[in-house]
Amino acid sequence: MRLLPRRLGLLGLSVPATCFLLGFFVIPVGFIVYYSFGFKPGLLAPVATTKLSLARYSEALSGPFADIFGTTLRIAIVATLVCALVAIPFAEWLAVHVPRKHRLKVVALLIIPLCTNYLLRTIGWQVALSDNGWVVSALTKVNLLHGGLGFLNTQGAVQLGLVYNYLVFMILPIYVALDRVDPATRNASRDLGAGRIRTAVEVTIPQAWQGIVSGCLLVFIPMMGDYLTASILGGANGTMVGQLVAAQFLTAQNWALGSATAVVLILATLVTVIATMILLRLIRWTVGTQRAIRLPKGSTS
Amino acid sequence: MTKRDGFSALIPAGKLSGSTLGRRAFLGGLAAAGTAAALAACGGGGGSTSSNQGTGRLGVYGWADYDSPDLVAQFTKETGIPFSLDVYSSNEEAIAKLNAAKGTAGYDLYMPTGVYIPQQAQAGLLQELDLTKIPNFSNVDSSYTNQPFDPGNKYSVCKDWGSTGFLYDTTVIKRELRTWDDFVDAMQKEASKRTSIIDAPNELAGLYAWRAAVRQDWTSTDPAFLDGVEKFILEQIAPHVAAYDSYPGSSVEQGKYALMMAWNGNARLGMVAAKDPARYKWVLGAPTTELWMDNWAIPAGAPDPDASYKWINWILDPDHSYTDMKYHGYNTGIKGIAERAEKENLPFRDMVIFDDVQRATMKVGALNEATERLVQILNKAKAVSAS
Amino acid sequence: MTRLRNANLMTPLMWAWGAAVLVFLLLPILTIAVYAFNGGRSLGTWEGWSIQPFQRAASDPNIIAAVSTSAQAGLGSAALATVLGTLGGIAAAKVPGKVIALFTGLISLVLVTPEIVNAIALLIWYVRIGGPFGPGATPIDYGLSRLMVGHAIFSTAVVVLVVRARLAGLGDTLEEAAADLYAPVWRRFLQITLRTAAPAIGAGFVLSFTLSMDNTIISSFVSVSGYTPWPVFVLSAIRSGLRPEVAAVSVCLLGLTLLSVATVAVALKGASRRSRSTP
Repeated sequence: MRLLPRRLGLLGLSVPATCFLLGFFVIPVGFIVYYSFGFKPGLLAPVATTKLSLARYSEALSGPFADIFGTTLRIAIVATLVCALVAIPFAEWLAVHVPRKHRLKVVALLIIPLCTNYLLRTIGWQVALSDNGWVVSALTKVNLLHGGLGFLNTQGAVQLGLVYNYLVFMILPIYVALDRVDPATRNASRDLGAGRIRTAVEVTIPQAWQGIVSGCLLVFIPMMGDYLTASILGGANGTMVGQLVAAQFLTAQNWALGSATAVVLILATLVTVIATMILLRLIRWTVGTQRAIRLPKGSTS
Repeated sequence: MTKRDGFSALIPAGKLSGSTLGRRAFLGGLAAAGTAAALAACGGGGGSTSSNQGTGRLGVYGWADYDSPDLVAQFTKETGIPFSLDVYSSNEEAIAKLNAAKGTAGYDLYMPTGVYIPQQAQAGLLQELDLTKIPNFSNVDSSYTNQPFDPGNKYSVCKDWGSTGFLYDTTVIKRELRTWDDFVDAMQKEASKRTSIIDAPNELAGLYAWRAAVRQDWTSTDPAFLDGVEKFILEQIAPHVAAYDSYPGSSVEQGKYALMMAWNGNARLGMVAAKDPARYKWVLGAPTTELWMDNWAIPAGAPDPDASYKWINWILDPDHSYTDMKYHGYNTGIKGIAERAEKENLPFRDMVIFDDVQRATMKVGALNEATERLVQILNKAKAVSAS
Repeated sequence: MTRLRNANLMTPLMWAWGAAVLVFLLLPILTIAVYAFNGGRSLGTWEGWSIQPFQRAASDPNIIAAVSTSAQAGLGSAALATVLGTLGGIAAAKVPGKVIALFTGLISLVLVTPEIVNAIALLIWYVRIGGPFGPGATPIDYGLSRLMVGHAIFSTAVVVLVVRARLAGLGDTLEEAAADLYAPVWRRFLQITLRTAAPAIGAGFVLSFTLSMDNTIISSFVSVSGYTPWPVFVLSAIRSGLRPEVAAVSVCLLGLTLLSVATVAVALKGASRRSRSTP
């Protein structure tokens, strides 16, 4: 009980950060939400809120814009899944097979792309994959390719770029989670006769589940708002929702429509995340009630 | 037990010192701070500002590749004023930024296209010019002063004027293209998904209206006209576009596109840089095309207008102007510059100097009620191209 | 023992996968590093080896100004985020969950909001409130203050998370012991709480600085002429034609980062070896 005033004093420590975030995040974004109900009054005036309505929302969700939302969602989900599929074996390799004293070196190699400017590492792919870049030249020399690769300015290129830029953010949480898994459980599973894959699926991965989930969140949410990768690697084919929002503010000067699009983007991201969480809970619940440890014949005497 | 002050001797060393990774991170933080401080110091603070006096630097907001880098370096050497450029792709984008910033964007010099000036002046985005500070203004040919969009040159001085056309790769498009109709046709056939379109809303209306098949005023605000533009762009153009790029000239040597809609000077830059310019052919838009004039202007709230005046006066010197034209490829409107270009054999002169017959086909644009609809059409077109 | 158990057919496959992923991650970095020595005018077109891009980059005042602006904004925003985030993280770790729920909710909100939304909100907000974010006599030039505050928002949330994670697992026993020994509040705070959180504070500072140096979207919306940070410079260079100088600068920055990390690692190895040998 003596600690109660102290704990309340500690609560005060959160005040500076709260004020800062309120003043420079909550209130400004609140204005965005407010503007989303407004309209564009004239040629050189960006927004007016004298008459509030939901008209901007129906505009933001209409026709080609709705297609962009769908495309963005699809690209982000696929890229997240690919990231997970690539990262899980890699993290397993790093946590289990790499000797402890070398692990830091591998982590350092992982950090190098993050220390390079985001735009430049995406440009690195653009230069490498362009029709007079070294990838095409090399492939042409060994006669595996004739003519250009034609990979740039496609949605595939955007997918590749997104997976590349966010892969490390998927690897690190999964690695940390796998690192915490007690190797004894793995060995016990092997001792009881389970094969390598079964061990991985039924013992290791469930324990690292928290890391996988945080990795997916850490990757999916920024991907939904990321439009620079798409514009560099995808050209006209690479428009994602973020580009629409930016265009409304930078070119069209229609803050009301831009704000409405931004709000829809936030909602779309949140809804996807929550829906996936619920889905995963449901799966775990159904699978969990059916699970039982099956021992191979003859292992108990 | 670590040797620290008496208090912490009770605490096991492990808990206080943390993991190796943590210590590393902390010292890494110090190292990063040290490096950053060194980097910050070497730049000398990026330009310290005192609000009322000049900053001693020229902040420019303009089009890309629009002034010879050698000339800029020469200006800096002669006057000691560094020149720093931020780029936009269309007038609409520039207006959006200046309007949103309400005079706080920090630019001293701006290059608006003529027809966009009246509205911007009215909205208070531009400063009135003091022409006594620009004695070289007398070098400008009188056909390019006192324009209808800025009578008396109250807000602007002519920088250069140019037009719109297209460039195509003859190894991909083996037939001869001559008009905008040919452009659209090639775009839908040989150059589908290998074509670039200028990233500006008004150019879309132009692409629709300049063609022999349509032949309408591209500045029309008639809703039926705009519906026609939208249908044409979304159905016939957008699905074949590889990129919306206002500066395709810089991609010519990489061979990025087979067909490029471009302004004449930018296309010329591509030809100058290309290893085999014979591979590309330039076509001035026909039967009708655009006439635009870009102007020097000083935005409202400019931190150092004197630097701007120094630059404008300097660039209007006939020799400097000719050197600039040799680089960017647009007619700068200085007295006698066309004759000089002919005498000195300017490379790719046909892409810079236009005769009266060609000038008759060029039509000036407008900033009007149609602009907002065209901006939305451009956004929709980008959305269609992406799907 | 464990290694022997796991060694079988899967192991070479795992190693192959690990190597392949590392190659994949480093491929574009190597491409940029190589093309930094491109003697041509455009980054994407190779025209022979040369160190001209490095020379040109060192003598271009716009490039130097951009890097310097980024560094200054990085230091400022990292300092701001670290201070705010450390205090907030301590609160988040020590105060019971239900009471601090609003704060942790706010932090989560910051983390799930797309950067573009933040960027447009700040753009409008800065112009609206003016003051230190608009032209006028201010101690910090308003270009820098816009960048620092803009970068610090996300960074603060990150630092809160990092500090909270570090402190959450350690419990209150140390502070309680100190209180039992009649240590005053400020002394407990300085010598116990901050000391235990020190690695997280350091990591948070480094993370904030890295995030700020790489921040592109918010910077491109709020930056002011003359205070263009490095990523915004690269962004506009993309539109007007990338030159090898940009790659050259990136290689230099990467080199500096690796050098400082390597120096620190070597220094630590030496320090720990020395401290272990003392009784």
